[in-house]
Amino acid sequence: MKENIVIIGGGIAGLEAAGQLLKLGYSPIIIERTERLGGHVASWHRLFPDMSPAKELVDGLVAAASGANIFLNTEISFVNRLKDSYNIMLSNGISIITRIMLVTTGFSVFDASKKEEYGYGVYDQVITNRDLEHWFNGNADPRIDNSAMNAVGFVHCVGSRDEKARNSQCSKVCCITAVKQAIEIRQKFPEASVYCFYMDLRMFGKKYEDFYINAQRDYGIRFIRGRVSEVSENIEGKVVIKAEDTLSGKPVKVTLDLLVLMAGMVCSQASSRVAGMIPLPTDSDGFLKSKDNVYGVVESPKEGIFYAGACTGPKTVPEALAEARAAALDVHLFINGLK
Amino acid sequence: MRERFLTGYNDFVLPFVLGMAFIISYCVVGMVRIILQLPAEDRKRFFISLVTPATLWKNIKDIFLKCLIHVDIWKRNKLLGYMHSSIAFGWFMLIVIGHIEVFLYTPHRAKLFYYPIFFRYFVAETESTMKGALIFFLMDLFLLIVLSGIALAIIKRVRSVMFGMRRTTNPSFFDLVGQYSLWAIFPLRLLAESFTADISGGSFLTKSLNHVFTSFLSNHANMLPAWWAYSCALGVFFFVLPFTRYMHIPTEILLIPLRNAGIKIRNARKGLAKAQVYSCPSCGLCIDACPMGVMKANIRDTTVYLNRQIRRQNEARIEEISDKCLLCGKCTAICPVGIEGDKLRIAQRSIRKYNLSPDYSGIPVSGLAAAAGDFSGTGHGERILYFAGCMTALTPAISRSMESILKKAGADYSFMDRDGGICCSRPMFMAGRFDAAKQLIEKNTEIIRASGADVLLLSCPICYKIFKEKYRLDGIRIVHHTEYIDSLIRQGVLTVEKDGTRYAYHDPCELGRGCGVYDEPRRVVEAAGVLAEAAKNRKESICCGGSLGSLTLGFDKRRAMTENAVTNLMAGSPDRIATACPLCRSTFGRYSGVPVEDIAEIIDRKTTKTDRS
Repeated sequence: MKENIVIIGGGIAGLEAAGQLLKLGYSPIIIERTERLGGHVASWHRLFPDMSPAKELVDGLVAAASGANIFLNTEISFVNRLKDSYNIMLSNGISIITRIMLVTTGFSVFDASKKEEYGYGVYDQVITNRDLEHWFNGNADPRIDNSAMNAVGFVHCVGSRDEKARNSQCSKVCCITAVKQAIEIRQKFPEASVYCFYMDLRMFGKKYEDFYINAQRDYGIRFIRGRVSEVSENIEGKVVIKAEDTLSGKPVKVTLDLLVLMAGMVCSQASSRVAGMIPLPTDSDGFLKSKDNVYGVVESPKEGIFYAGACTGPKTVPEALAEARAAALDVHLFINGLK
Repeated sequence: MRERFLTGYNDFVLPFVLGMAFIISYCVVGMVRIILQLPAEDRKRFFISLVTPATLWKNIKDIFLKCLIHVDIWKRNKLLGYMHSSIAFGWFMLIVIGHIEVFLYTPHRAKLFYYPIFFRYFVAETESTMKGALIFFLMDLFLLIVLSGIALAIIKRVRSVMFGMRRTTNPSFFDLVGQYSLWAIFPLRLLAESFTADISGGSFLTKSLNHVFTSFLSNHANMLPAWWAYSCALGVFFFVLPFTRYMHIPTEILLIPLRNAGIKIRNARKGLAKAQVYSCPSCGLCIDACPMGVMKANIRDTTVYLNRQIRRQNEARIEEISDKCLLCGKCTAICPVGIEGDKLRIAQRSIRKYNLSPDYSGIPVSGLAAAAGDFSGTGHGERILYFAGCMTALTPAISRSMESILKKAGADYSFMDRDGGICCSRPMFMAGRFDAAKQLIEKNTEIIRASGADVLLLSCPICYKIFKEKYRLDGIRIVHHTEYIDSLIRQGVLTVEKDGTRYAYHDPCELGRGCGVYDEPRRVVEAAGVLAEAAKNRKESICCGGSLGSLTLGFDKRRAMTENAVTNLMAGSPDRIATACPLCRSTFGRYSGVPVEDIAEIIDRKTTKTDRS
């Protein structure tokens, strides 16, 4: 009998894994909670470091995965453990018996209103990286459209590396995303001054450092090392931010037309929900726990259950894709082992 | 009554006499030391209070109601109250009536202080003694009351839940010795008096027991060992008393007049602090009260253990316990003796030596003072100076709502720290760094005085407490925004739209227990919606866990405390949580399942512009 492979989550990791499994001759089932495939990346505009359009990537992945059984607008109602398999009941009434599940439930963007001192949800000129990416993608946003952009600020590490916000981990991609978005802002508004307030700049990936130098040299983006302490609003309705420039040791105060909060990645509620049903353990950072954080990142502690992408921690797009391929291969080897 | 012995003495009184002499000298020396340790002005104040009729009367009343009747414990739990007052008041009455007996029947023996205690041994009943039947009855009655108290105390050791206490203190070795000797005193007294009851007379209890005993113990010689045992139990109790929790009995009699004289803790270990530490009865009510105690954690860091470690001079533990505390003040609020767990800890922190001390004297204030004096100038009534504080700067929704309310009310206001200000100094004060705190207080006082304000309006209860207690701002009214909003609503300046939303109001520690503001915020909430009270509220409200008070608790440790406090607030199944402290609001916001709002935000949302503006 042909093995059912259930991929939970139709983001880029789920799509890529499905595409690979199709090539290996399997017919995976993708369960997607929302009405469209592609996850977070589908609503993004361009990807660092080469500014490649996100749409192209997602369209390619969707096309490659089109042979899979895809259930949109579908959630898992419950999972029953059978003797050596699982019975998955879907919200559309279909039930699936499987021995193999690939969890690609991804992450959620940190709710920036929880860091109230930055004024998200309080002041009209404060948005998040996601809001900005949506706007780049052509969605109207009154908070941006109505402003004449003279000064724009980016705050790094919003809800990342922050114990008070219940997230002590680094979200990995926000530094480089801020560099990318700052450059894009300068491209749209060449007259605007752009400031980035950071703790550390973690330019770990291929060409990231060049991208950062580019931002400073070619786009004149000012990087200020120091966390923003508070955000307020002046009489003209502009946001005033206070921070400390820890390199010069001086407090700085800047009046901005737009403040972009680089909200980090947290474990998505959907991941926690799925983990609770199977059940799968959670690691100390709140993300799902791998069998081994060095050697078995795409394996769960449970036999037949695999991970790919940001459900186990913050990942960049290429990392999520690489994990998806690794997981597809693991699934293939696991099925071979069953015979 | 006639005496049975010419000498009026038997060797068995010795353990009691020696024990009594020891404890009286110990207490007198201790009392003199504590009084001498007070700063001169406090000592003078104390002596004056002792001869002031009003405080004198209050002292007598308090000593009677607290030490003997234990009214505070009655209010908490009837059974626990009965247990304490039956032992304390019953024993007291036994002593009083014992003395009356001596004065009535053998007045020439009144100078022997053991005589009333062992009266029954030394006298024999005569025909005329029937007049004393009432006294005999009372003696037996009070003995029975004390015995019932002891019986309850024994039950409490096993099942404290019956007495409304989930957790009790772990007794030290000396506590156990003291406890067993105390428990032994009264049954032994009953035994001794019963043996003697056919000679010295007795009532329903001793006489009846005497009949039982004589049926199988015919020899009167058996009475002496019983009296020896009774005296030994008393002697042991008095000898170990200074090293046990029972030291609270004599010390509380000193603590009450000290407190009534208005004396504050000035030294971490001496004077009032010492009196408080020794007044701790180790009852352990603070263990259940402590917000750090969720999941059975930090039990050994409660006030009862702080007192024990201070008595033992265990500096490492004193530091650990003092630094960990959230300073929510709940132990102080519920302590039946009146030990100020929070102030005691701040005092311990204040004797810490630091290598680095901040110096704030150089902060320029002229710019801040000019900004503070920039009133909106609507000309309506008082000039209101609004100080949001650092915590409100981190929750801008609150200060924005407050400013909007001030505008709607047409107030003549100025936003003192819109562009940054100087810390109120409460965090420094909580850390025990009084000198640094004083510098900040001076700076802010200068700014506020220069502004020409009539009212200082605060959003943060942490600031509110220190402004009320430590600032000298004569002529300037200090109000928290809940009080201000309440007055606006009552004067009809603000019209609030009421709906059916259920709000649980969380009493912030510093506003409720700290400043006694409980009713104004509730009235404001009721003006906007329905008040769904939490399981524990007002004085017993549970700290949100975000307090600045603790110097060592990490976020991981605080999480359980916050979740516990949220559960407590959800008791009335509210739709929203309302609070009046920016710190409580952001702490709850991280863990609450329902929206958390400050009262200012609710009111701003539910009011429309009035004609005045």
